[in-house]
Amino acid sequence: MSTSENKWRTVSNIPLKGAYGPEDIPDSHQEAMQAPPGAAPYMRGAYTEMYRGKPWRIFQLSGFGSPEEEGERIRFLLEHGETGFIMEHDRNTADHMYNVDHPEVLARKEDVGLTGAVIQSVRDYETVLNGIDLAKTYGHPGGGVVQHAPFALGCYWSVAKRRGLDLATLPGTGQSDFFLTYLGCVTKQQIPTDAGLRFNCDIIEFCAEHMKRWVPVSVAGYNGADSGLNAWQELGAVMANATEYLDEIKRRGNIPVEVAARSVGGMNFRVAMDFFEEIAKLRAARKMWHDLVSRRYGITDPKVKALRLHIVTAGSAMTYQQPLNNIARGTLMALASVLGGTQSLGVSGYDEALSIPSEHAHQMSLRIQQILQEETNVPAVADPLAGSYFVESLTAEVEEKAWAFFDEIQEQGGFLRALDSGWLHGKAAENQLAFQHRLESGEAELVGVTKYEDDETPFEMDGFRGQGGEWARANERLQAVRAERDGKRADTALKDVAAACRSDRNIMPAMLEACDAEVTVGEFGEVFRAAYGDWATPI
Amino acid sequence: MSTDLRNTRKVLFVKTGLDGHWRGPLLVTGALEEAGFDVMMLGMATPEETAAAASRDKPDLIGLNICGHIDVVKRTVAMLREQLPEVPIFAGGTVAPWAKKELEAIGVEVYPPGSKLTDIVAAAHRLTEG
Repeated sequence: MSTSENKWRTVSNIPLKGAYGPEDIPDSHQEAMQAPPGAAPYMRGAYTEMYRGKPWRIFQLSGFGSPEEEGERIRFLLEHGETGFIMEHDRNTADHMYNVDHPEVLARKEDVGLTGAVIQSVRDYETVLNGIDLAKTYGHPGGGVVQHAPFALGCYWSVAKRRGLDLATLPGTGQSDFFLTYLGCVTKQQIPTDAGLRFNCDIIEFCAEHMKRWVPVSVAGYNGADSGLNAWQELGAVMANATEYLDEIKRRGNIPVEVAARSVGGMNFRVAMDFFEEIAKLRAARKMWHDLVSRRYGITDPKVKALRLHIVTAGSAMTYQQPLNNIARGTLMALASVLGGTQSLGVSGYDEALSIPSEHAHQMSLRIQQILQEETNVPAVADPLAGSYFVESLTAEVEEKAWAFFDEIQEQGGFLRALDSGWLHGKAAENQLAFQHRLESGEAELVGVTKYEDDETPFEMDGFRGQGGEWARANERLQAVRAERDGKRADTALKDVAAACRSDRNIMPAMLEACDAEVTVGEFGEVFRAAYGDWATPI
Repeated sequence: MSTDLRNTRKVLFVKTGLDGHWRGPLLVTGALEEAGFDVMMLGMATPEETAAAASRDKPDLIGLNICGHIDVVKRTVAMLREQLPEVPIFAGGTVAPWAKKELEAIGVEVYPPGSKLTDIVAAAHRLTEG
């Protein structure tokens, strides 16, 4: 192992001293330190009581195969103590908005349904959600990819309406994340960023008016971080993304920016293995959000200024080699998330590098969190690391670097332009390569991968294996929808969506009607592609 | 890592699925380019598109990125072998152990997550020698 000075740095390249003292905490940080949890600038926590008031929500991504199988897995997790659920979709069809008979999907029939359920219409949503009480369960209908979100939300909300539920009181969250769509997981066909911004603002405004308990979009730094952005870059980019939404809401002038900020202020970050840096990042995130909305938008409502967090532990930290080691990694990342004051948490499966999670890996992700909640006493005290010379100093430094990165993004013309030009992708790729070189030179180590790699794994693990044959079943469902729906109603509704795309009116009312009229995902995709064209991918 | 720029061996690189994760492929193609390989990045391509590109461009090596499932990968390999029986194929990405074994059984070298770039570049040199 290298003994160079370079070894004692955070993974984001912040140099670390051997011990910290009061002189390491900048004066500018004192005020935030003195404020208790639940008080501005909220660095120490969004709520006074923190986990005494409300335990963090256990919130896992789940799904594969058929809508029936996906529903079964979700119900399994809910029965085992999960307190919210996230639907996963087949990437071939959802991310690209293709039906299973689109040529791109026909060419890869065997792939269909192996990463998530194939969901092409509101009927498939009804199947997945069968037996789940939507009025009481915090749901996430998928729609991580921006162009897919209006369909995912429209279908989920239609199911709720069909059950006679009042949308005004429906709990849940959407995602429509720019980091996933335009940085982490770049699809073959995707609407351009400006059209994506319009969709997200439509969703935010629709929820502000009709669905006060629904979180319309979720800025997910996770997807930027797992693509290579380091801790302070993730943080700076997340704030730049939020700024882009709020500036646009303000420009449109349909709802007060304060109302939009309330919903944008629920964000998703990644927590990876650099334990204290990640805790510092989450603390800095809350302070930055408070400062951003106060200074840039003049917001005064404390509820808006307190940032709420959803954390997903880093999938990329999970190793292929000796996968049971990942249970320890998942536990450490979960602990960092909780010490950083998250409101909800998903722990990646220990077999994540091998395949989508097996049922057992999913269960372990719940158990890790339940052990933290029930056995460790960690939730008893809010922000327990407050006042640590090291943690406070690191929090201040991460914040400073994150603001500098935020400014760099503004110099690129803002977050959207930094995506369009590939500038952010370049930053992510630089870090990936640097980290890989550190691993290969022995400057950084991964247990079981670059070191101690000869250990015998106690038992063989083969990875989850899907059933296959899902394409034919999905195609049968698609043909049935086409044959059985009220064709005229579907046609009229889809035309109205097309008209809404070409006008300034909010697309969500038209989407809701069209989803309820059983218009399919691929049909919406065709309409969006015709209206906006494709994003010019910078990578 | 070799920086021999006289190496003009061509590698055709393909994402076999409609999954847009680019982290791994970009690292690998970057390392191959740094080692002097001429990398042709086809992006997300169907088995038919891959086979057509291979017979047009006559690569010395074909790299397949895998995102979790291998049925389409196996079909791609079969089509490539029909067109260019001698061209070596290697693959990497999210590949479960059972899938790795199945691909190795049909003569594809597999580099799962955690593989070193130096090993992948060394494999590219070895597979394109002679």
